[in-house]
Amino acid sequence: MMSLMKPDMQMDVSFYKVEEIRHLTDETFSLKLPRARFAFKAGQHISLGIVGGNQSREYSIYSGENDENLELLIKEVDNGYFTPRLRKLKAGSMVEVHGPFGKFGMEPELAANGKFVFIASGTGIAPFRSIVHTYPGIDYRIIHGVRYSKEAYDREEYAADRYTLCTSRDKGGNYNGRLTGYLKSCTFDPETHFDLCGNSNMIFDALEILKDKGFDRDQIHCEVYF
Amino acid sequence: MTTNDKKSVAFKTLGCRLNQYETDALVTDFSNAGYELVDYNASPDVVIINTCTVTNQSDTKSRSVISQSVRKAKNAVVVVTGCMANNFKAKLESQENITFVVENNRKSSILSLIDAHFSGEIVHPDQLPQDVFRYEPVHKSLHTRSAVKIQDGCDNFCTFCIIPMVRGMAASRPVADVLESVRKTVENGFKEIVITGVNIGRYEDGRVRFEELLAKILEVPGDFRVRISSLEPDGFGDDFVKLFAHPKLMPHLHLCLQSGSDKTLLRMRRMYDVAQFRKTVNKFRSAYPGFNFTTDIIVGFPGETDEEFQQTLDAIKEFNFSHIHTFKYSVRKGTRAERLENHLPEKIKSERSLKVRDLSVENMKRYFESFIGQTQNVLIERISEGTASGYGENYIPVHFKLPGAQKNMIIKVKLTGLVGEDEDMFFLGEIVGE
Repeated sequence: MMSLMKPDMQMDVSFYKVEEIRHLTDETFSLKLPRARFAFKAGQHISLGIVGGNQSREYSIYSGENDENLELLIKEVDNGYFTPRLRKLKAGSMVEVHGPFGKFGMEPELAANGKFVFIASGTGIAPFRSIVHTYPGIDYRIIHGVRYSKEAYDREEYAADRYTLCTSRDKGGNYNGRLTGYLKSCTFDPETHFDLCGNSNMIFDALEILKDKGFDRDQIHCEVYF
Repeated sequence: MTTNDKKSVAFKTLGCRLNQYETDALVTDFSNAGYELVDYNASPDVVIINTCTVTNQSDTKSRSVISQSVRKAKNAVVVVTGCMANNFKAKLESQENITFVVENNRKSSILSLIDAHFSGEIVHPDQLPQDVFRYEPVHKSLHTRSAVKIQDGCDNFCTFCIIPMVRGMAASRPVADVLESVRKTVENGFKEIVITGVNIGRYEDGRVRFEELLAKILEVPGDFRVRISSLEPDGFGDDFVKLFAHPKLMPHLHLCLQSGSDKTLLRMRRMYDVAQFRKTVNKFRSAYPGFNFTTDIIVGFPGETDEEFQQTLDAIKEFNFSHIHTFKYSVRKGTRAERLENHLPEKIKSERSLKVRDLSVENMKRYFESFIGQTQNVLIERISEGTASGYGENYIPVHFKLPGAQKNMIIKVKLTGLVGEDEDMFFLGEIVGE
């Protein structure tokens, strides 16, 4: 027979108070929350909602597994519904975080022994910052495609010889043009693991280039952003 | 209402195998509790509608069934559960003629809710325990085959899919529970078990993943065979292919391709490309010629060009799916595809859907014809006027004459001919031996 008692009220562990909003460009900011209350693998994503709102979106985690803060990298979408609301959040605002989700997570054994090329467009760099924070000794290169050089988010955190910025609309990058143009000119060790994160068009083009270079699809992992 | 104060219950189920399983488990619950199972035309005391919301069409069907049920069973306690109950909870709760709206994660406790109701207790469905695996092994069923649920939910976040919102995130049933459920289901007399869940390839309980679990299920003693419900085409390797050498495991997979275009697959946020899908199909077919693949295809996904659609048609021909569930893309509110550009007009979706269906029928005919003269072990699921019918190992439909036939018998049948049109094609067969 059912109990008539109401279920115990519990504090929702998915609620987080925003600690800081770090503005990186006019459109892009990082949302700093308290340390994650869940274990995650660098590269995974979460679902983010605003407490009291009725929508949520998925974001890759921008911070490392052991960082003091759970951090997310967000770009405001023109005429969007959700990101303009996120942008209005202040320190102290409440958000709701569920997760972690996804198979785009770095395995510790692989991080210790593998050679990686991270290919990102725009805010698609988020999971790779999480990986580099978590595994500072990892053997990696980042190829980051953006429109303007000011979008090289937290570039100073990566060793200069490991980070290649490709800018398509100004001359401030290491390569001036789309990242796919740069990728075509690159040579990589045959054992390289490729991790791609960004919009579906970039991923499609990059996949084709890598396959043309003879890399097996199983060496390439993708996280599509929308 | 039935006599002797025995309460009666009717069920209506829409959608996937998982829903069918959960209804079957509820049928077992109510049957064990002394309820009489009746048709919903027979003035039942309780009507339980297990809904689906995966497409707009599913919503329309679910709404229609709810309206019909309410109209036909005027004085009944009406329970609406399933994915539509999650997706449109507030709206359904505001309908006076629906007594209870029960979300998926509380579905397994509907009997307690109804018992409490008839005892005069006031219980809100939100007070029911949340447990997606609390179902008893099926004993009394609406089907000859019984499913066993091993997993629920999905966190792949395919851009078109509402399932993570209505079924929740991926969760796996503990290995021991799964094996116990298989054992009991076999003890209850079922000869065929369908392994089911939302995304069963993502099964993970500690170190046990899907293929290890399947190997353990196949080792459960008893005379039964195993089918796998639909599967996502990623995340399994050669060991999975080898398992199909086991005589209990049937040579059929419903492997969801969704599109034959890599660009479309990326926009859908699927985890594989066509080349990887090809590799899987070829591995199976080189190990087991005649292995049956069926699939799901979504046509008219936002931005799908003529060229991308043609790639889908090419893939359908190449992979020779014997059956295709074709879905015209429909917007699910809150999904990422809702926000994609270039949504296609209904007319284009309908034209593409027809092309896929035509090709599906051609494939089915070609695949079926390759079995003429061969034998299949057929599980009898229906008997009508001396003709038994059911499915062979490769999930192909067979009809044959058998005096004294009973449901749930497995009979060896030689396939002598093919009759019927379009998707209603079936084999005629002759008994070789029991």
